[in-house]
Amino acid sequence: MRVLAKELNGIVLLKIIIEHPSESGTRKDEQGNVIPAHFIREGRVTLNGAPLFDLELGPSVSRDPFFQLKFAGKKGDQIKLEFTDSKFQEFTAECAVT
Amino acid sequence: MKRRKFLGAGAAMVASISMIPSQLFAAWCEKCFSQSTIDNAFINTLGTRDFASTDKVTIVAPQAASDSSLVTVEIISSIKAESLYLFVEKNISPLVFQCNLHGSAEPYISLNVKLKESSLVHAVLKEGNRYYRASVHVNVLAQAC
Repeated sequence: MRVLAKELNGIVLLKIIIEHPSESGTRKDEQGNVIPAHFIREGRVTLNGAPLFDLELGPSVSRDPFFQLKFAGKKGDQIKLEFTDSKFQEFTAECAVT
Repeated sequence: MKRRKFLGAGAAMVASISMIPSQLFAAWCEKCFSQSTIDNAFINTLGTRDFASTDKVTIVAPQAASDSSLVTVEIISSIKAESLYLFVEKNISPLVFQCNLHGSAEPYISLNVKLKESSLVHAVLKEGNRYYRASVHVNVLAQAC
């Protein structure tokens, strides 16, 4: 998981990339077997400990999801991210606004 | 008898362990993301399918996509938002995401999504008890997913 938060004129652009197969559960392999679903389902972003974004995601998100979000903030603000996939695997990151 | 009790207790424990994930992640709306038509997805997610189109919400997506497994869709709004939603009409599971905004969050999201085929893509914004929609049609040139 890679995170970048850059402030410009009081607005922070937050970029998040999570390396993930994002299998929808409807695709088949060469033998015709259904590839089991495995995708990011939930995400939480907090700013200095307070909730900022709550996300619920479905199987239509691309492989290696790339999110861009915006919020009003300043340099030095602390961002915490938590994502969970459909196999209950967790992806977490912390970063400061630059 | 003792063995039976032991097995019973074990089964109860396994049952309680398997309950934990569903309790922890009960927030994920299984019904919203179920395989359905776009109308049912609107109703399951928002409770309504009647909302007016607006020019206050902008949805940006390429008119033609050569790789349907990676289409960048952007939602931009000039009005405040409580929640943002993205739907791909022709996908097996039309709802792509729902996002609740808190505090200083701006009503903006960009995300790459998969399209099963050429389809309308709808952005829905919720503010108070009102819904606003913006739609765009994306043409898929090559089947990738």
